[in-house]
Amino acid sequence: MMRLLLLATVALLLCACAAPAPPVVDPLAALRRADGTVVWQEEYAFLTPPAPWSLVSLDEDDYSIAFAKECSDYFPCQSTLAYAEEPFGYSDDFDKRAKEFFKRFLWASRVVFDEPQLEPATFNGKPALVARVEGKERVKGQKVAAKVVFARRGERVVGFYYTQWRPEQIAYDPVDEQAFDAFVDSFKFVKPSFYEQL
Amino acid sequence: MEGHQRNLHLYDRFNARVVGVSRNDVTTLKFWSDELELTFPILSNPVGHIGMWFGALPPAYPMFSRKTVIIDRQGVIRYMRNGTPDFHDILKTLKKLNAEEVKS
Repeated sequence: MMRLLLLATVALLLCACAAPAPPVVDPLAALRRADGTVVWQEEYAFLTPPAPWSLVSLDEDDYSIAFAKECSDYFPCQSTLAYAEEPFGYSDDFDKRAKEFFKRFLWASRVVFDEPQLEPATFNGKPALVARVEGKERVKGQKVAAKVVFARRGERVVGFYYTQWRPEQIAYDPVDEQAFDAFVDSFKFVKPSFYEQL
Repeated sequence: MEGHQRNLHLYDRFNARVVGVSRNDVTTLKFWSDELELTFPILSNPVGHIGMWFGALPPAYPMFSRKTVIIDRQGVIRYMRNGTPDFHDILKTLKKLNAEEVKS
């Protein structure tokens, strides 16, 4: 009898080992349209970055939506991308806004940033500005690459952020920046903003 | 404060002015205001009576808690909210008050 039970247990364990992996659940399925874009808060439509990027739960109003991707190969190993309706600063001029923005961007991280490299761009057919910058935290031996796209919604400036954190001696992974670029390229405003309707 | 600076032109549109109040001293506020390049006034109230009047001075705590107050032309408080300013709410209120004033 004991031997039968043991066999049954082993068989069950083997069955458990052979069980197929649970299906990947799309946490934003309810918001996803037929073309694959997600409509967020009836304001924005965009393609979400592919797994393992995941939606970040935000308890502050600095960002409107954000995704993060982490790995455990080394520390830090994290990338984030976000859209902000109200990026730091206040000027409507892109160059002035970039200057104001970088006074506060990651200000609590103790990272020392290089001078941002600014490059004119377009977003949804309108002028935009791309800022690239790298920062280093020498004490902890960490670095961060950041890319910020300043764009326009109505007359106001909005922003897309991307950061990738790595140990100082580890190279950045360009795939994450491609995910950010794809997110920005897909991003559309579904309706006029609050300020456009005020 | 940056949020208010961002919305100054909208406050103008609704005939409103913004003033910040803090318990910090004048030197500190001037440095801070210059650093953020704010163009609206920040008042220094180290004694704290303005915070007391508006219920923004928590017991046994030296700083004001964040509070947004809208006062109309007659001196009547028409809006009061704790915490981070809700700029949509503030602007909707100012728009409504301005419309009331234009009508009267």
